[in-house]
Amino acid sequence: MTLQEQIRSNRFRSVIVVFGFVVLLAVIAGLIGLVLDLSIGIFALVFAAVYGIFALLRSRSMVARLTHAQEVSESELRPLRRLLENVSIGAGLPVTPELRLVHDDAPNAFAAGLRPEKSFVGVTTGLLKTMPKRELEAVIAHEVSHIRHRDTYLMTMATVFAGVIALIADVGFRSLAYGGRSRGKGGIIVLVVAIVGFVLAPYAALLLRMSLSRRREYLADAGAAEILNDPEAMALALQRLQQDSTAIKYADAAVAHLWVESPTDRVETERPGVSALTSMFNTHPPLADRIAAMEEAGGFRLAEQLPADVPFAAEMGLV
Amino acid sequence: MLWLWILIGVLVVLAIVAVLGYNRLVRLRNECDTGWANIDVQLQRRGDLIPNLVEAVKGYAAHERGVFDEVTRARAAVQQAGGPASAAQANDILTAALGRLFAVAEAYPELKASENFLRLQEDLTDTEDKISAARRYYNATVMRYNTAVQSFPWLLFAGPFGFRAREFFSAEGDTGVPQVSFSTAT
Repeated sequence: MTLQEQIRSNRFRSVIVVFGFVVLLAVIAGLIGLVLDLSIGIFALVFAAVYGIFALLRSRSMVARLTHAQEVSESELRPLRRLLENVSIGAGLPVTPELRLVHDDAPNAFAAGLRPEKSFVGVTTGLLKTMPKRELEAVIAHEVSHIRHRDTYLMTMATVFAGVIALIADVGFRSLAYGGRSRGKGGIIVLVVAIVGFVLAPYAALLLRMSLSRRREYLADAGAAEILNDPEAMALALQRLQQDSTAIKYADAAVAHLWVESPTDRVETERPGVSALTSMFNTHPPLADRIAAMEEAGGFRLAEQLPADVPFAAEMGLV
Repeated sequence: MLWLWILIGVLVVLAIVAVLGYNRLVRLRNECDTGWANIDVQLQRRGDLIPNLVEAVKGYAAHERGVFDEVTRARAAVQQAGGPASAAQANDILTAALGRLFAVAEAYPELKASENFLRLQEDLTDTEDKISAARRYYNATVMRYNTAVQSFPWLLFAGPFGFRAREFFSAEGDTGVPQVSFSTAT
């Protein structure tokens, strides 16, 4: 799949996602209207639309807050900024994304933003302390690939819509549970369907969001290898992530799909009660599979032992 | 009557294919242009840094005239280069000349310690990294464009419409284009 095809496929998927969520939203609002009151259903729908638009507009700062990513001033971390600039040039991005730093010992990175011009790449301090330059470059290239493929755009939309659905379903469920059905219409069947719908809707949205994310990771790995012309660097970086066991402190499920490696897997499953379905809800494919894909693409085998290179932070005297 | 309709249908399909193909070639050509502009910006930036560097070194090593002339000539050659291939060649010569300039600088401890010189050296290294990044992207876009222009059936009307294969930004055939293929596993 070429880059342009990938971008177009992502645009198409975005339309599907939007459409899917609108349908899902309409069903939930319809259930609320049916079981409780028509005006409440309409109110829920309008509220969801307003909330959704607001969330899209605010998504940039929302992601920054959820990931605890801090802005880095122009003069700070120049070697890292240059690395990001070079990777962006190699990827042919029109502008270099903004650089953000997450003060966390777990090595990880993420990308976010609706448009390439307004995107940012966040890296953790742990990543800088763990990865040598070559692998750090690969991780950054992975994130830049997400931006170039418009993955960030699609995923931001999916995140926002999933949040809206969860909220509305929650409202419906609660008003059903606490408000009783004083003005209840329809029989017991409608009620049961509504309850099941309210309970399952957030998971349906979540499932859709997750399934979108996983294939993307392979493509971003491949994109990173192409940008740097170095699949081995990407594989090495993934292996280093695999051998590291630091969990990220602020693992927020809402932004799990943004990171280069799933930040939540090691903490706990996404939500209680879905342990049996965890692999379906995983935001990322297993690291071993991703390394294997790189090895196959580049025609090499990684050794068990990682090369003992100097981490970037130490090399640049940033620690 | 039926034959006429079939003929019209075939013509319509051909027209659609031709329009899509034309648009694709235009898009690929634009990507090449953007890629080349990226390289050009960095070559320019490098060219702008060099006079300052030469001045800085002259301040400590005024008699090393030969190296200064060499660098200045190489810089002019890059700016006058006609196309990507000759620009790449001139750029390689400039890189070699700069290498000699820095080798000369090694002999002057005060120069090496000067803040100005260190910053210029850092900026130049960074620009070289950026040129090679821009080169990777440009050569990849040229590879895609050339493949499209030279493959059937587009080669039939690529010529008449003015789509000509582009030069790589490389001095000696080494394009730096990734030779790996990716299967998009799921």
